[in-house]
Amino acid sequence: MDFFLQLFSDPVGFYQSHELLIAQIGINSLLAISIFVTLFSGQLTLANVGFMAVGAYTTVILSLHASTPLVFNIALGALLAGALGVVVGLPVLRLRGVFLAIATLGFGEALRFGVILNLPITGQGQGLKNPDADPLGGVVPILVALALVAYLVWRLGSSKLGQAWAAIREDELAASSQGINVPLYKMSAFVVGALIAGLAGGLESHINFFVDPTEYGTTRAIQVLTFAVVGGISNVLGPILGATILTSLPEVVRQAQDYRDVINGVILILIIVFRPQGVLGGGGLALIRPRWWPRQWTLTRARTPADA
Amino acid sequence: MPAHLLTLSGVTRHFGGVQAVDQVSLEIETGTIFGLIGPNGAGKTTLVNLITGYVALQSGRIELEGQPIGGRAPHQIASLGVARTFQTIRLYKQLTALANVLVGMHSRRKHDTLQQLGLLPVFRRGQLQRVAEARQLLSRVGLEPERFQNRRAMTLSYGDQRRLEIARALALGPRLLLLDEPAAGMNPAEKDRIRELIEELNAEGLTILLIDHDMRLVMGVCRQLAVLNFGRRIALGTPAEVSADPAVVTAYLGTQAGEEGATAAPGAAGPELEAPVGAALRVADPTESVHPTDAPAAMLQVRELRVGYGAVEAVKGVTFSVDKGEVVALIGANGAGKSTILNALSGVLRPHSGSAVFDGLDLGTAPTHRIVSHGLIQVPEGREVLARQTVRENLALGAWSRRDGRAVAREIEELMERFEILGKRRNLAAGQLSGGEQQILAIARGLLGKPRLLLLDEPSLGLAPQTVDLVFGVIEQIHAAGTTILLVEQNALRALEVAGRAYVVETGRILLTGTGEALRQDPAVRKAYLGG
Repeated sequence: MDFFLQLFSDPVGFYQSHELLIAQIGINSLLAISIFVTLFSGQLTLANVGFMAVGAYTTVILSLHASTPLVFNIALGALLAGALGVVVGLPVLRLRGVFLAIATLGFGEALRFGVILNLPITGQGQGLKNPDADPLGGVVPILVALALVAYLVWRLGSSKLGQAWAAIREDELAASSQGINVPLYKMSAFVVGALIAGLAGGLESHINFFVDPTEYGTTRAIQVLTFAVVGGISNVLGPILGATILTSLPEVVRQAQDYRDVINGVILILIIVFRPQGVLGGGGLALIRPRWWPRQWTLTRARTPADA
Repeated sequence: MPAHLLTLSGVTRHFGGVQAVDQVSLEIETGTIFGLIGPNGAGKTTLVNLITGYVALQSGRIELEGQPIGGRAPHQIASLGVARTFQTIRLYKQLTALANVLVGMHSRRKHDTLQQLGLLPVFRRGQLQRVAEARQLLSRVGLEPERFQNRRAMTLSYGDQRRLEIARALALGPRLLLLDEPAAGMNPAEKDRIRELIEELNAEGLTILLIDHDMRLVMGVCRQLAVLNFGRRIALGTPAEVSADPAVVTAYLGTQAGEEGATAAPGAAGPELEAPVGAALRVADPTESVHPTDAPAAMLQVRELRVGYGAVEAVKGVTFSVDKGEVVALIGANGAGKSTILNALSGVLRPHSGSAVFDGLDLGTAPTHRIVSHGLIQVPEGREVLARQTVRENLALGAWSRRDGRAVAREIEELMERFEILGKRRNLAAGQLSGGEQQILAIARGLLGKPRLLLLDEPSLGLAPQTVDLVFGVIEQIHAAGTTILLVEQNALRALEVAGRAYVVETGRILLTGTGEALRQDPAVRKAYLGG
């Protein structure tokens, strides 16, 4: 309860005492958006945590061995993740649904066990110490990046790119009858997702003193998917909301912190049973909309007879 | 001599052993409406899939204005101005009607991702123009933008979904529009509106390739027709020429012992549907039971059954009965609702209203396994054998719910002896059998479920005439052994030879009923199939 009391009575104090939590929410929101982009195009990929690792390691290795500015390091990390997305996407995007999910999960594990744990430059199992770590200074860049990425992804929705993605998600066969180059657009969604995940990785490394290979495992890959599922994927606010709820949950119920994974699991099950479209999906925000709130501000699709 | 927009020469495609499209050559003139007709499984949709690149060409050439397009990807062919609709509607169900049309403009749209990132309207002028054009297209096909543009595609009625799919195809700005059964499942008023739309679009200069089973529509709007059967082009010409062609009549009504085919071309078969029918026949009246006196004794009694899929009602109140020991046929053209009736009886679909009682069991509510164990077995359309399992394994599956293993093993052996074709191929994968052999396997599999009433859905589908004889021989044999049979067939004349009684189904209603022999002589039956 203290959590909410402080949030509303003393927002400045709340921000100061919860900066790390807010930074983590920002990172998780970025990751949730990265998986939202691929889900939006109808692909269930779990490779994003691997791309995140690429971003994080690139940033820290550059900080250790080169004197380039941090912004450049983070940007290069994101671009490398995007480039790796092309290489991984070529074979993997021939798969669909659960097979794609398994293959991309495999990519993440192969990257961790095969590359990161074996290359001397990554510090192998020990991880890397980050000389540029700045836990508190990292918060604002993260929030700025989140706002920018969320805005861009929201605007993509009505672009040629975004409409092609939506069409592929709804019906690939029909999409190609409209002249949409399905493999190309699937690849572009995969790469955009990889870029965002790489960016999140670089930004996260900046607030941590240490890059730890165990951070980028299967558990996290699935956690990221959970953010998007809980929040809903009808628009970009869903994944952000999902990440916010699930990241702040352990803080809200401190007493239950030991049961964090259990609570996460129960929430996921409840969402799947009672609200499979996610908290915000299918007119979700409209449901909690106060009377004075203009309908068009809710950003969700108009409610249709099928919803009723 | 007008130029040819689309030229097909020697186009061939087979799937496994089935010749789906075999050496088909066609020329479609610029600005025409070209019809493509043929019975179920004739290869019409495969031909459309070949033209649009969904199915790879095995041999032959396809040229669009002299430019070869065979072997290109679907999106490349679409970008050249070949738009299509799908036989089973394939809209973007969750997107709004407007968004569906906007996506259709994809190949004409410049890459505007960067502009779209801006918030100011000046960056989005292109989008505003597209929205205006999309709204025009919606009203073009008869969907008022004000009412429909923000509704999700899945919430539209069936006929509106078909129209939206046409609007989406038009958004491509096509040179050639392929319509795959645009009027399927529509009521007569809706069909008339589709017909007007097709004629208007053509008047504006669009070349159209139309596939449909509704002969009134096809014969009415098309200037040229090609008829396919078993993947081959069996006729080509104007509607009048084609409907007088004996080969076409045979293809539609099936083969029979007599040589009646040529004399009863649909154009020549004078009487209208409403014409008085023979004494043995009467127009079915759904309010009255077909067998008022022995109705309680009927093995299967169906009353006022209504079944549908989402927005469309495919079966609109049918009443009929099957007595013990009978063979009863439901005949009618494609899309009449015959298979839907069978699926509602076997529990695959649930009726909206009405009742179906099989030997005391209410088929409308009973769980599927109860229906099977009560002795009602369906042999599905398209055979549905497991292609990679052997003949023997497929048969064993038919007895899956039975616990008397030894008896099953003995019965399988008996069946193998009874149907020699299966016995010889017992260890062959079912996928390697011919279509007819697969059909016999599917029937034999059904028999292992110990049916008292066997439902056969289109047993002759896609089979060559000799094979049809083989399959019908098996059906007669099973009937002689005491099993009651409800048969659904497109091959009407053949079905009427084995059936004691039959019902003619059209657009979800029973049109006529009578003895097989009487219906066989009835011109209205031909009319139901071939229109005119």
